[in-house]
Amino acid sequence: MAAGSLRAHLLRMLLPPIAALLGLGAVIAYYPSIEPATEAYDQSLVDIGIALGSHIRGADIGFRLELPPAVEQVLRADRYDQIYYRVGGPGGEPIAGDLDLPLPAERAAGLQYYDTRYKDRRVRAVSMPAQCGAATCTVVVAETTIKRTRMAREILLSNVLPEALIALATVVIVWFGVKRGLAPLARLSEEIKERSPADLHALDAGKAPEETRPLIVALNGLLGELAAANRNQQRFLADAAHQLRTPLAGLQAHTELALAQPMPDACRTQVEQVHQATIRTARLANQLLALARAEPGGHTEPLATVELRPMVEAVADEWVHRALQRDLDLGFDLQSANVRADEFLLREALANLLHNAIEYSPRGARITVRTGMRDGKAVLEIEDEGPGIPPGERERVLDRFYRVPGTPGTGSGLGLAIVREIASGHGATLTIAEGTSPAGANKGCRVALTFPHG
Amino acid sequence: MRLLIVEDDAPLASGLRRMLEAEGYAVDVTGRGEEAVLAASQERFDLVILDIGLPQMDGFEVLRRLRAAEKPMPVLVLTARDAVDDRVRGLDLGADDYMAKPFAMPELTARVRALLRRSQAHGDPRIVHGPLAIDTVARRAFLRGEPLELAAREWAVLEVLLAKVEKIVSKEAIIQAVAGWGDDLSPNAIEVYISRLRSKLEPAGIKIRTVRGFGYMLEEFKEP
Repeated sequence: MAAGSLRAHLLRMLLPPIAALLGLGAVIAYYPSIEPATEAYDQSLVDIGIALGSHIRGADIGFRLELPPAVEQVLRADRYDQIYYRVGGPGGEPIAGDLDLPLPAERAAGLQYYDTRYKDRRVRAVSMPAQCGAATCTVVVAETTIKRTRMAREILLSNVLPEALIALATVVIVWFGVKRGLAPLARLSEEIKERSPADLHALDAGKAPEETRPLIVALNGLLGELAAANRNQQRFLADAAHQLRTPLAGLQAHTELALAQPMPDACRTQVEQVHQATIRTARLANQLLALARAEPGGHTEPLATVELRPMVEAVADEWVHRALQRDLDLGFDLQSANVRADEFLLREALANLLHNAIEYSPRGARITVRTGMRDGKAVLEIEDEGPGIPPGERERVLDRFYRVPGTPGTGSGLGLAIVREIASGHGATLTIAEGTSPAGANKGCRVALTFPHG
Repeated sequence: MRLLIVEDDAPLASGLRRMLEAEGYAVDVTGRGEEAVLAASQERFDLVILDIGLPQMDGFEVLRRLRAAEKPMPVLVLTARDAVDDRVRGLDLGADDYMAKPFAMPELTARVRALLRRSQAHGDPRIVHGPLAIDTVARRAFLRGEPLELAAREWAVLEVLLAKVEKIVSKEAIIQAVAGWGDDLSPNAIEVYISRLRSKLEPAGIKIRTVRGFGYMLEEFKEP
């Protein structure tokens, strides 16, 4: 039982009073049932006494007990207990039997029951008057308490056993009852567990039992606040995108215009640098925005079925032109494959992978985009003939702002981090391997996104 | 050619204006959607460059009104936002092309040229591509002024490529366009027609590029 468990708490609260009540019940039931039995045993002692009394002979003096051995045997016979007796005269003088059998501590007239010890054993005794002629003799009969103890034990057991069963049943009922009672909570936690981080819809309070409603209402409040925060973030990102990109577009337009003008070489070098920095800044801004959108909770678009092939075909023009500017052969191997995805983010992943391939491939190299099914899973793969990524660096290149030492160019080190973020948002695995046709120092690079089934 | 730029960011608008004027276009600029709609209703523009993120009346609304007024000129939409939806919505509303900010000027001017060429060619049977001139009605082609002999299927393939200069045309699209001539065509057959076209056009500096695993692209003609 875990500390703090509701079951343990309930049992701790329920069991002591139940045990006390059952104990009390056992005690209360014990006395009414043991009394008639005790009386019956006492009565049989009295019967023996009466029988003994009828064997007292003699008058006034010289009383004696004429007890034939056969009768004595019958009287003393008992299955469990030893029976003792003692017969005394009117003056208390011993007549027959076990003469050292103790008498009641306080003598009284008539029938008198008492407990005492005899021969180091507990005995139940009865002292009773017996008619002997005109006088009254005293007969004492005692027996050991074996069958009485036994009976008491049996009575106790027959009372306690059902009560123990009741206690056990209580534990079982609490155990399973709590589980059953908490089933709606278990269902609720399953529902929350299975949700995608992007799903911030309110939980349905209608199906839940009344006791859990405050919890659901509180959760829904929290979900609502999260959704609002998300919407705010999305709005902020959209605004930031707009506010950043428009002036950057203006800046880029003017540096390009300036470069189209005749100007001294020294000046041109500087304008060229401003121009390159502008392009880098624009790309960095785009990447930071993409990263923010790709983060868990950053995208609120529900996933939809995206066909990889037309998605790649739709952006092929743009990328083929970029590849041609660097004298690269961008080709395609496109088979049908459907994935559940946020299409914008998927295009962002493709854009970052293609950007890297174009950036790091030597002139004249081939770059191939593949889509299709592999082992029943949809795959999007980009292969290039660039220097590749050494196996030891393949984990680290996924870190934000990390670039393999000695890498030429001016990349931000964000591209693969964005792809990783997008992959994990789609439950896809990102794998980096060598190219299929390494050429000399250029081992090539194959980056694949493998999507989960369905 | 007269262009209308609808962009509220003054530096970007002036950059665009200067770049396009340098290309030989007459350019008007406004930063407000309402003015753009008004200008387009009063004067004739051959192309509109339209920013989506305008104050008050946004670019989508301007586009909707232009199309509602049955203005036929091509519209090139610019957006600083990055949702795929914007693109889809823009194209649904009748935008002809779409560019995300920031963009490289040569790319923008290339798109403007392509859009203008397409809209000017509309209804005009003559298509000129550098030294190549074809008359789609008379079905005659001239290269550097000399008549050019083309087989029927070569003609069909060339027409498809000429309609989408600088765009990749998939092999499937070429097959569909050529399949009107009857029997089934294999992708290999297309390769044969392309290589015949190349041997006829490349000496004049007209290039058909192969996009591996996808299709072909007629490159923009550049003076040697």
